[in-house]
Amino acid sequence: MATPVFSANHMAHSAKHPRTLLLACGNTLRGDDGVGWRIACALEQQPCNGLTVLFTQQLLPEFAQAVSRADTVIFIDCSADTAAGTVSTTPIEPAKDLPRILTHHLDPASLLRLSLDLYAHAPARALAVTVGGESFALTDHLSKTVQAAVPTALQAVRNALQMVRAQVH
Amino acid sequence: MSQTITIDPVTRLEGHGRITLKTNGHGEISEACFSVTQVRGFEKFSEGRPYYEMPSLMARICGICPVSHLLASAKACEAIMAVEIPPTAAKLRRALNLAQSIQSHALSFFYLASPDLLLGMDADPADRNIFGVAKAHPELGRAGVGLRRFGQHMIELLGRKRIHPGWVVPGGVTEPLDAAKRDEILALVPDAYANIKLALTAYKQIASRFQDEIESFANFPGPFMGMVADNDGLEFTDGKLRMIDAKGIVLMDNLEAARFDEAIGEAVEPFSYMKFPYYKPMGYPAGSYRVGPLARLNIASHAGTPLADAELLEFKKLSNGPVLGSFHYHHARLIEILHGIEVIEQLFSESSILDKHVRATAGVNRQEGAGIAEAPRGTLMHHYKVDSNGLMTWANLVIATGQNNNAMNKGVLQVAQRYVKADKLTEGMLNRVEAVIRTFDPCLSCATHAFGQMPLVIELLAPDGSILDQVSRV
Repeated sequence: MATPVFSANHMAHSAKHPRTLLLACGNTLRGDDGVGWRIACALEQQPCNGLTVLFTQQLLPEFAQAVSRADTVIFIDCSADTAAGTVSTTPIEPAKDLPRILTHHLDPASLLRLSLDLYAHAPARALAVTVGGESFALTDHLSKTVQAAVPTALQAVRNALQMVRAQVH
Repeated sequence: MSQTITIDPVTRLEGHGRITLKTNGHGEISEACFSVTQVRGFEKFSEGRPYYEMPSLMARICGICPVSHLLASAKACEAIMAVEIPPTAAKLRRALNLAQSIQSHALSFFYLASPDLLLGMDADPADRNIFGVAKAHPELGRAGVGLRRFGQHMIELLGRKRIHPGWVVPGGVTEPLDAAKRDEILALVPDAYANIKLALTAYKQIASRFQDEIESFANFPGPFMGMVADNDGLEFTDGKLRMIDAKGIVLMDNLEAARFDEAIGEAVEPFSYMKFPYYKPMGYPAGSYRVGPLARLNIASHAGTPLADAELLEFKKLSNGPVLGSFHYHHARLIEILHGIEVIEQLFSESSILDKHVRATAGVNRQEGAGIAEAPRGTLMHHYKVDSNGLMTWANLVIATGQNNNAMNKGVLQVAQRYVKADKLTEGMLNRVEAVIRTFDPCLSCATHAFGQMPLVIELLAPDGSILDQVSRV
């Protein structure tokens, strides 16, 4: 599995190609928590103009600049709160109230807020595509339930990307 | 009536700690204990493992300074192997260690300390955080985020991972640097310079507002220890240990890793899992000393890079001898960031940095070895013993934060006596008690090898030990 890196498709601005940032979050050694990385890896195999993919275990303040430069940001992650295998697409708005204590990670809404506060810009569109997790045990395999949901989640991300392109054109 | 105040958890630290303040019958703070309440036991469970696994195992102690553990551990292994690593490997390791100091110092200064410095010790705690800084001083917020990203990205480019890179191994590093990565790193340097210059300028403008804190934040005479280069310059990776006293007189010099335990002992106290290292000739607790950025700048005669040398000259003018106030750790961190950027630029401008020979190999040639590196928070020592098959039989780690343990306790007492009135606890008082610990940027996860959490607790106790008041933050 790839380590946290920017993919080759960096954010060269183009009116034809909106700058889209895909932030894949999770830990591939903790079972279903790695589903976001697997989805992003699959998407990365099909080069797409204007698309930047970033793999990370956590959302960090250091990503605020990359977020601020994107027209659209899509967070792909596993959810511990929804039913196992459930694929959800949720619009994200910048947070109004931020955590009092910064530990080592942020939630998507807080990252958008930080992007606004630091760089005076946040993406016009932000959404999270999540897959409900079943097992977060020490393994690099997905549970059968979550594995079965990967095609649906992939399609959800592709739909979001197509929607972005359609809005620009 | 006597009381005890407990701050539990202390916020904006790496790890989980507790502060207990005891008052006497006159309502004055008479005693302070900074307790670290967790333990993990890395030394014990490493027994039986092959020595060459130690760097990657020990690096897991900490997600902030894994590179320092990698280096100290690899050097201990190399002492067991009796090998000298290739010169290019030494340069690459030095660059990696400096990148880690840059990102760690940026985290400490901008994310953890700057809310107090820029927004005020008495500011609303709801705003006194990095997000408050981002709103009030976005240019400094961007500088902090930028410097941390610079250090983290460089670690990722060299070691393939921002956290727990596996690149450093006994004998050198696993693969050489390629020109594309070198060029990418050099391209990031101008922004890094701009960011640190902005931060240094801002810090010097606001430091004068904290004269009271400068005088009371762990400001006392005592020894300082750290690594220096052969030419007495600032050194993080391949130097020898020096200790000076509060007047600048050298107590110990040229101490090599193999002999560090002849000079450094470790005491324990019943209230904390964190050990209390001390300088053996002076005994405990008189031999307690400070390490880290302030100590490094105090013991080094120069930085060895032009911009940092100019800043160091100005820094040393803060005092006629060693700078004793621990509040100045913040300033020292910024100077070390500048120095780190300069050294990285120098190292990566040398053609030899691309040399392909970056790893030496050998088996077990000695059954004991020690390694030392300067971690962001101070001197880090790993000491191992192995059997003839190279299986670990014993390990001891002397961690930077532990070496500041006594100073942190003294600092908490000093601040509490100045600011805390037992009849009324205010946010500003409590924050200053926490802030004195933050000047040291302790990593309690490292110091106890315990799993890190942010919170810390303050307790107020009566003379009989009963809890009168308690403050917890999450």
